[in-house]
Amino acid sequence: MPGPLDGVRVIEIAEGVAGPYTAMSLGDAGADVIKIEPPSGDRSRGWSPQTSAGASVTFQSLNRSKRGVVLDWSSGDDIETARRLLASADVAVVDKYALPARLNWDAIGNAGLVYCALSGFGPHGPWRNRPESELAAQLASEATASLGWLGEEPVRHGADIGSMYAANYAIQAICAALYARDDSDPSAPTGGQRIDVSLFGSLLAMRSTLWVALSNPDEWWGFHLDSYVKPPDHGYQCRDLPIYFSVARVDVDRFDALLDELGMEWARELPAEELQRLRTDGAGGTGRYAHELKKYWERGFANHDAAEVIEIVERYGCWAFPMHDYERLTEDPQVAAVAAVLAVEQSDGTMLRQVAPPWDFEGTPVEVNRSAPQLGEHQSEVLNELNA
Amino acid sequence: MPGPLDGVRVFDLTLWMVGPWASLQLGALGADVVHIEQPGVDWGTLGAGVPPLINGTSAGYITWNMNKRGLFLDLKSPEDRQTAYELLQTCDVFLINMRPGAAERMGVGYEQVKAVNPNIIYTAVTGWGEVGPMRDAPGADPQCQYFTGFWSVSGHRGGRGEVYRHFTQLDGSTGNATAQAVLMALIARKRTGEGQRIHVGMVRAGMALQSHRIAEYLATGAAHQPLGSAGFAAAPDQAFQCQHGDWIGVAATSEDEWQRLCVAMVESEAEGDALSGLDADSRFSRNLDRVANRDALSAILQQAFIQRPRHYWMLRLSEAGVPCGYPMSFDTLQQHAQVIENGYIQQVLTSGWGNVWTGGPPWEFSRTPARLFGTPQPGEHTGDILDELTQRRVSADESAPVIGG
Repeated sequence: MPGPLDGVRVIEIAEGVAGPYTAMSLGDAGADVIKIEPPSGDRSRGWSPQTSAGASVTFQSLNRSKRGVVLDWSSGDDIETARRLLASADVAVVDKYALPARLNWDAIGNAGLVYCALSGFGPHGPWRNRPESELAAQLASEATASLGWLGEEPVRHGADIGSMYAANYAIQAICAALYARDDSDPSAPTGGQRIDVSLFGSLLAMRSTLWVALSNPDEWWGFHLDSYVKPPDHGYQCRDLPIYFSVARVDVDRFDALLDELGMEWARELPAEELQRLRTDGAGGTGRYAHELKKYWERGFANHDAAEVIEIVERYGCWAFPMHDYERLTEDPQVAAVAAVLAVEQSDGTMLRQVAPPWDFEGTPVEVNRSAPQLGEHQSEVLNELNA
Repeated sequence: MPGPLDGVRVFDLTLWMVGPWASLQLGALGADVVHIEQPGVDWGTLGAGVPPLINGTSAGYITWNMNKRGLFLDLKSPEDRQTAYELLQTCDVFLINMRPGAAERMGVGYEQVKAVNPNIIYTAVTGWGEVGPMRDAPGADPQCQYFTGFWSVSGHRGGRGEVYRHFTQLDGSTGNATAQAVLMALIARKRTGEGQRIHVGMVRAGMALQSHRIAEYLATGAAHQPLGSAGFAAAPDQAFQCQHGDWIGVAATSEDEWQRLCVAMVESEAEGDALSGLDADSRFSRNLDRVANRDALSAILQQAFIQRPRHYWMLRLSEAGVPCGYPMSFDTLQQHAQVIENGYIQQVLTSGWGNVWTGGPPWEFSRTPARLFGTPQPGEHTGDILDELTQRRVSADESAPVIGG
């Protein structure tokens, strides 16, 4: 059974993270994706770390489910080839890193084409021509205000969330535009259009809750707004590992028993106001006084392994979770149960483990079985198809 | 021109953030999203009542339920359940985020909804997934951040990983993945004529958001050590402190950008022993060399940046085509030409909570524009929607063939 995007053809002229992840997701969902690279290759081929076979892990994990060709924008013939590929396509995913001006939307002449342009800051305004950058977008959108300390060296989110958010929105927009297209003549669809998505705009959209929260000048405190002023939060260290927890739901009359089980009898001697906060603030990092109270909880947890604390807290009707790093995450039985990790066979026969796409389609299941292309790997195959 | 999902109707049985965030996107794209609430619901409990509040309602609820119409339905009442089924016959998409089994108990499991509308795209969103030892555990954004290692790749250089304190990002990402799945299933239905059941869980969506970082661990077995403002993959790609203490972010993630940065640094005439020889220094020849010698490179560049104000560097680097930027906050963003001209933050009028600021649509469509309109009060459009159903019943009766006529 083919995936939901079976029959859709995508041309990718993009580099780095956002464009490649967008096109890979369409490929995972069943589209035929052709990635065009310059002779020097996608910039991410040179990124760290590299596999023992000398391939960039970022590149390998953001470019599966695609075929690859190399075109040189200094060659008129290659520009013409790209134009013909775009004329044959349903979708183009392009970014400023990679796209020559001569292949811009207006110049292609494919009435059904859904042309998605990714940029750093958006298609309008004084920054429209600034080169895209994960770091610049995170800084400008104040995404870094939820990490570190305001005013000190900014701390970026290490998972490239600006690029990934933009990709997630680009996937939505491309699919919405494909849905809106007129396919009544399947050989010549009409009603394509241009879509613009930026890293900056996507990061700002993902902080919408804060913009609404900041709309009420009478309320300068509360869960969402606390994020600006709380200190860096590393979770609650137990004897072995960190956890996160909340005891906000414990029955009032069982609170002392919970303290006893955690070996925190001493907490009852705390000043009345502190003890009251310990009872009601819930911890879990989400309470207003969470970081002032952390020292008490960590004093108690220092005598227990994380698993013991989790077991005790759950027994009192509350929740606690391990803080997994990627090693503990990828070894967790739940992650295995939901098949979040898959293995993709590489062109040298080795298997590379990667993260599965996030959707389950019962009617049109997704299968991932094509590794990222070597530079120009499908050159003759794709060009022969084009000339056939 | 209407949005791309004009004519699509969504039965939105969602709560808290992850489900509502999915239907928020579908509504912005032009779908008619009918958001269900329990009749007489206490507004203080909406969005779990999480502060800050506006007119007694959580700011979260107001954010996550824009672009929708509000309908009261009590699915425990047989009469309202019939109304739900009647409405479902007119819907293309069903959306629910409740723990496994809850939908069936309310009479809206997949088999039950499919019996009413065989071509529906039935969408279930869960926290931990529909299988596995944790399937019934409570799951929301914070828990998913801790569990998926979202905290482990950010933090001060040399320090421990730290939690992203705006606890909405994995709810939002899962909602976005859900909207993707709905859209893909709509495309498949356009081709095959058939609906289907789809599912998205927070653990997998949260991991997909970290696809290449997790893949790096899986390929190398090495845990990421937080690098402050610096990126893992390339160097230089970090913040530097300028004269007067301001921070600037500078990234050279291709060899071309690196060469341009080298030229710009020389042209700045900042003083520094190694600055004029950067492009010839064998420690910095290729990106992998620069990553391996990140600290040495960072020290050389930092020594130069501190000699000039940030504005100088922004102009100098922008002119040279080197990606750069600096931290801004809401009060600046609200009035910033780049934000306003792209509509990235907008004010929107709500009927229950006045004017609020929020993020504008993150996509621009040249032919079928997206939209943004205010959050409905719970049940606000109940009368309109019931009237539409009545109208539909009447016209169905009128168009029925007259027996013996």
